[in-house]
Amino acid sequence: MNGIDFSTGLGDAIAWPWPIAVYLFFAGISGGALAIALLMRIYKKQTQDTPLLKAAGVVSFVTICLGMLCLVLDLSNPLFFWKILLYYNLNSVMSLGVIVLLFYIPLTAVIAAIALRGELARFPQLKPLMPWLERLAAMRSPLEWLTLVLAVSVCAYTGFLISALIRFPIINTSLLPALFIVSGLSAGAAMAKMVAVKWFGESLHSEEMTLLHGAEWPIMAVEAMFLFMLFSGLIFGTGPSQAATQAFSQGGWSSLFWGGVIGLGFVLPLMLNFALGQKFAHSGRAFYLTGGSVICGMMCLRLFLLYAGQIYTI
Amino acid sequence: MLPRRSLLKGLGVGSVAMLAGGCGSTDPAAEAGEGPNYVLLFDQTKCVGCGRCEDACNQANNLPEGVARLTLERQSDRVPGAVCPRCGKTECNCDRKYVRVSCQQCDNAPCVMVCPTGAAYRDEKTGIVTMDGDKCAGCKYCIAACPYKVRFINSETKVAENCDFCLQSRLAKGELPACVSQCKFDALVFGDASDPKSYVARLLAVKNTARVKPHLGTEPSVHYIPIAKPEV
Repeated sequence: MNGIDFSTGLGDAIAWPWPIAVYLFFAGISGGALAIALLMRIYKKQTQDTPLLKAAGVVSFVTICLGMLCLVLDLSNPLFFWKILLYYNLNSVMSLGVIVLLFYIPLTAVIAAIALRGELARFPQLKPLMPWLERLAAMRSPLEWLTLVLAVSVCAYTGFLISALIRFPIINTSLLPALFIVSGLSAGAAMAKMVAVKWFGESLHSEEMTLLHGAEWPIMAVEAMFLFMLFSGLIFGTGPSQAATQAFSQGGWSSLFWGGVIGLGFVLPLMLNFALGQKFAHSGRAFYLTGGSVICGMMCLRLFLLYAGQIYTI
Repeated sequence: MLPRRSLLKGLGVGSVAMLAGGCGSTDPAAEAGEGPNYVLLFDQTKCVGCGRCEDACNQANNLPEGVARLTLERQSDRVPGAVCPRCGKTECNCDRKYVRVSCQQCDNAPCVMVCPTGAAYRDEKTGIVTMDGDKCAGCKYCIAACPYKVRFINSETKVAENCDFCLQSRLAKGELPACVSQCKFDALVFGDASDPKSYVARLLAVKNTARVKPHLGTEPSVHYIPIAKPEV
């Protein structure tokens, strides 16, 4: 019997274009930033509203809203978005994600509002909200635990969402949710740190910042290991998986991987912090450059996985 | 207690039966459960690539300009630069064969699995994968998930579509799919494979048929009779 196949299709070659990568990026930052700040709060048993928590609250709420905007604008008709909120298919990863986001988005707003209630009280227009905020603040601890779980779920969900696509060997791997959690944590932490220092008066060398700086390197090491596992999974896979390893060595997307994901995400932060001397590493410039490059590296990772992933099919 | 010999014998017979069942899984009649099992058979040895099926489909399903639920991919056996196996020339237009490109109507359909709203669904009565356009949000998850790249967004309605054997346009009226009824060369056969007396079931029983990417486990319902050439 002869094998039979066709290579032309009826739809576009890339079903999910760059707005989806931007959405994956924003969702990762949102979940990562909030998870890091809440973990810090729980670990340090904090009771005051720290600049990091305020920053993370603002960052996660703003980024998840921007992410939702990307998602809705990428629909074939953005006015159809209500259908996703009305109909559910519990076999679908996307449907489960909608349920998670339905709780996560309001909770980020609540967490941010509680942490910032001192600042919000300065606006006379928001006066009627204050008694409600006080009531919510009384239930703060359980709300924070719930949000922590949901924040990690959102990071993981973006991975599950695309790993469910069976025809793409690079992204159809159970590693993806884990990779997205760690890369979300590192970029989210970088973003929250920068906002905390820039707008919420956190000192560059406070105890919290030092703790975060220390935690970032192990997180990055785990991320690098996951990337290596993704690559080895392809090498030791079947024919189409092996063919997909070309994504790492040929074409424009491979330069995005080596320049963006590895260069900006790993090499540049290491250089900035260890190669140029202690004095520079402790400067504000190094702090913002490192944070920026880690965040760009994470965006490149999402873009690379989405595009290179969709090019190499079974 | 069972005597060991008869237990072993039973195991042996059982595993042979399982193997036979497994090997026969390309035979749709064997795997059919309840209800009809509609299949489409595309005979590559008969298709000349005239395109009547494409036109009939576009018309029957009111498709706007620029989109199609099915198409024919032109292929060739020839090695570039080598002589044509049919006419012996190096420059000719005769070595060509066509493959039908359309929804493979998987029994285990990834599009139905991932659709967040249930817009891509399996019709209960016929088992055919079709679309409820009113529920489709246009997220394109089904398009990304389909291993055959045969789903698309209708540029007019902005919702996803696929070939559903004309379920919503003709099958309900008891008519054959438009492509099948318009094929002048009998290259398309449609029918219920779970009915052993149907023409399609008898063809599947005797012809050497194949399916596209069967290793993905999607169990497609579109079967192909490929042009088989003897090895040189």
